[in-house]
Amino acid sequence: MKKKISPGYTLIYLFLSLWALTTIFPLAWSVMNSFKDKKTIYHNSFALPVGSTFSLENYRSIFENYDILHAYRNSFIISGTVAAAVILLAGMAAYILCRYQFSGKRLLNLLLYAGMMFPIYSTIIPVLRMQAVWGIVNSPSVGKNLLSVILPQIAGNMSFAIIVLMGYIRTLPVELEEAAFLEGCSMFQTYFRIVFPLCKPSMVTVGIFSFLWSYNDLFTQMFFLRTKENWAITILLNNIASKEGVNYGALFSSVTLIVIPVLIVYIFLNKYIIKGMTVGAVKG
Amino acid sequence: MGANIYKNKKLIWVFLLPAFLFMLVYLYYPFVQNILNSFRHIKYMGTAGGDWNSPWYINYTKLWADPKMRIALKNTGITIAATILGQVGIALLLSLLVSNIKAGSGFFRTVYFFPIVISATALGLLFNLVFLYDKGMVNQFLQFAGYLDRESNELIDWKSKHAMFTMLMPVIWQYVGFYFVILLTGLSGIPSELYEAATIDGGSKWQQVRFITLPLLRNSIGTCVILAVTGALKVFDLPWTMFVNGMSNTWLTGTYMYSKVYSDVDYASAIAVVIVLIGVILSALVNRIFRQNDDYQV
Amino acid sequence: MKKKMMLVLAAITAVSAAYAVPAMAEGVTLNVTTTYAGEDGNAQNYKDSVAAWEAESGNKVEDSSATSDEAFKSRIVTDFEAGSEPDVLFFFNGVDSNQFVEQGKVVSVDEIREVYPDYASNMKDDLLGASPVDGVNYSVPVNGYWEGMFVNKEVLEAAGVELPTADTTWDEFLAACEAIKEAGYTPIAASLQEIPHYWFEYAIYNFQSPETHNTVPESVDDEYGKAWVDGLNDIKALYEAGYFPENTLTATDAETFQLFTGDKAAFLIDGSWKIGGIAEAVDDIENFTVVNVPGKGDRKTTDEIGGLSMGYYITRKAWDDEEKRDAAVSFVSFMTSDEVVSKFAGVSATALKEGAAPDTSEFNPLQVDAIAYTASFTGISPAVQDNLSAAAREPIFADMASIVNGDVDAADAVAAVLEANAE
Repeated sequence: MKKKISPGYTLIYLFLSLWALTTIFPLAWSVMNSFKDKKTIYHNSFALPVGSTFSLENYRSIFENYDILHAYRNSFIISGTVAAAVILLAGMAAYILCRYQFSGKRLLNLLLYAGMMFPIYSTIIPVLRMQAVWGIVNSPSVGKNLLSVILPQIAGNMSFAIIVLMGYIRTLPVELEEAAFLEGCSMFQTYFRIVFPLCKPSMVTVGIFSFLWSYNDLFTQMFFLRTKENWAITILLNNIASKEGVNYGALFSSVTLIVIPVLIVYIFLNKYIIKGMTVGAVKG
Repeated sequence: MGANIYKNKKLIWVFLLPAFLFMLVYLYYPFVQNILNSFRHIKYMGTAGGDWNSPWYINYTKLWADPKMRIALKNTGITIAATILGQVGIALLLSLLVSNIKAGSGFFRTVYFFPIVISATALGLLFNLVFLYDKGMVNQFLQFAGYLDRESNELIDWKSKHAMFTMLMPVIWQYVGFYFVILLTGLSGIPSELYEAATIDGGSKWQQVRFITLPLLRNSIGTCVILAVTGALKVFDLPWTMFVNGMSNTWLTGTYMYSKVYSDVDYASAIAVVIVLIGVILSALVNRIFRQNDDYQV
Repeated sequence: MKKKMMLVLAAITAVSAAYAVPAMAEGVTLNVTTTYAGEDGNAQNYKDSVAAWEAESGNKVEDSSATSDEAFKSRIVTDFEAGSEPDVLFFFNGVDSNQFVEQGKVVSVDEIREVYPDYASNMKDDLLGASPVDGVNYSVPVNGYWEGMFVNKEVLEAAGVELPTADTTWDEFLAACEAIKEAGYTPIAASLQEIPHYWFEYAIYNFQSPETHNTVPESVDDEYGKAWVDGLNDIKALYEAGYFPENTLTATDAETFQLFTGDKAAFLIDGSWKIGGIAEAVDDIENFTVVNVPGKGDRKTTDEIGGLSMGYYITRKAWDDEEKRDAAVSFVSFMTSDEVVSKFAGVSATALKEGAAPDTSEFNPLQVDAIAYTASFTGISPAVQDNLSAAAREPIFADMASIVNGDVDAADAVAAVLEANAE
């Protein structure tokens, strides 16, 4: 490709930067306000927290009163497991739904769309009852309580993941799978050796969103993570920030503390999405 | 084409079962209960279904006649159109542009993701301040620019006069980053050899986009449109924070259902059934339009 | 990639397994759920009291308290249905408790007294908060609430209006609002769109008395039904006179509250819990006070809304458990003792026979005024909306905007409420 700064490129950069401004601003605004006390936020939420308006009070009160690292750990166990399980299971199902013809396939497709539509409010009560019968709700074991959040979340992210992965697998050339077949690979080998590695960018995308939604899913956490040692970060910070809705300082420090780990995960995984695929790379 | 590689179907259930078992237990079974609940009288959220309604379908006849449900359906239709054009359109444009630049692409990829990770509560608060009546950002700016009279403190009540715009703008903006990431993923799957070949043949950038990128991106765009349609039918958190109780006739199917979740459980169940039905029909329709080569006929 | 994934899974499983070690139990472990959580004014008091009881009794409390909202309420309801309810529950005593009372899942105070005669003996029985189901006492309350009219004194001064007193009539209040409006201020801070609840309560109270207020009408045409319609029409009149904020039908409660704390609006009807919110939001707390809500008709200006809407329940499950029965009774007795209740009460009402003795030395001026305000009460009635099911509240609360702008007739709205409540 030729390297030349054309007016076209200037225009592109201008447009991209304008959009970037709108996306950076809210986060910057939230972080900024997390360093102000409540009163300053009331009076001027758009001013920079410098000098006398700078305050660490919001953070201090959180860190002094709560075991926040423990909550982060719970969050990462829950959301990490959810993301890993969703990638594994959704990938296998998506592969079959894309490549194989079988009776009932049309029905499964419709069920997939339906699975994406169910509002959490209409499924949570039967789930709570079921899991209470199984003894994993309100249990003294932290592991069981975390499991009671993990299982419904895996199911909740499954439809979305399968649909996105199907969209990606469809674009993959079948020739590679044919070659594998001729070499005598079974379905399992073809999937795990050929298709799975090729799907890496899409798997990472699905993983990121499953992680994110599980991590932010306050509603399920509210039902199943009840005592302090079970709290994940989102419910912990919501419990701090929810009261009366006037304590904006607590709200913004919560937003900041919730957002930062997710952004780190995203930035870390982002590079897997970017890499353009070349046919040559497939063999490696 | 040697499509006979997909002929041995004996073991496909091993791949399908785990995923669908999860959904059966945690989604389909509870939702069947939800469907039954929509025909029952339920007093508090959390109690088992009581007696059958008489007539059993009364919630659905009520829905049919409910003026708020009509408003919600109309607004949701507008939202679907706006999200397809706005969210997916902008995301497509952004992802094409970002994939065509070298310097700074990593930066843009990262910051476009920001809005998705911030909770709806915080965003609702921010946009409430942006569109605030007195001393809100937009009104202050319009006064400064001379569009509104500053002397008499002339103000626009955005949540009343331009309610739909004020509600949809943040919703669309927030999820552009989501489709952006999915489309970028799709773009990464296009072999770079194709572009190299096109460049050698003297194809312009535009021609490359028109004849290589867009056709190959068709699956990803189809996925995005399905997600956008279903998302629009479900969305409630950000609209609810900004327009509580459907103020200024801004009900959406998602917010209307949410408003009934705790107060009128069986009615909310009926709304959920309608949402799911519309969602499945529209998704199947979109899928047909973007139909692709996943059916390897023998 | 696959190997990496397996490693991640293995690591997660290992960590999860490490978690699964059961806690060592000494004494009895009580499962307790309350709403003293998050930034609830008493969250810290609750924590301290629990720790004190644990030290005293040698038992342990497994605390699953959470901020009260609709999701929390449905979790409690489902828990009772699924048999995973706590041993002790601090919860509402109004219609929200009907389901588990109806199913006999909590133990009445009388039944407990057959075994423990001194249970809740420090409380006035008629204030315990009888269940709407059968009029029986099941719970023991701690601290209550009242509602009143908060005033921004600076705005009144700027508008040349006198501070309302215990003798101010409704007409005088309207005249004050007019003067405040003339002076360019907003008379009443309220978001009719989001929180019309307080105005509804007092507006209909004006056509009733403390004795009759807490009654849900049988029909729109009976005396209570008429009072409700008249009250709603009064709110409509206030709206048409322009006494609410210009954008009261689109503003959030936080926005109108800011008008009040930002010296732009004069009056705010709200609950006793708002004192903390005002103190947090302003630098000049001495500029704010709380006064009686001006009344008319049979309701004296000093007849207010208030009550004890929550209390401690002991569940049937804990009561039938030999090991836990003693501990549960001991826990509730401790948490509702004179000392603990006084500490929790602050400026709010209690059911104590001896009355609460809060430590007033660190009260701010608004809290001092609040004590004087509660002393002025000649009559008190609970909020009648607590007797309505959530579905029944909707036609007036979610649709207040349509009522005041004339889209929906007040009588039709009340009829819709009664119809939904009868279901």
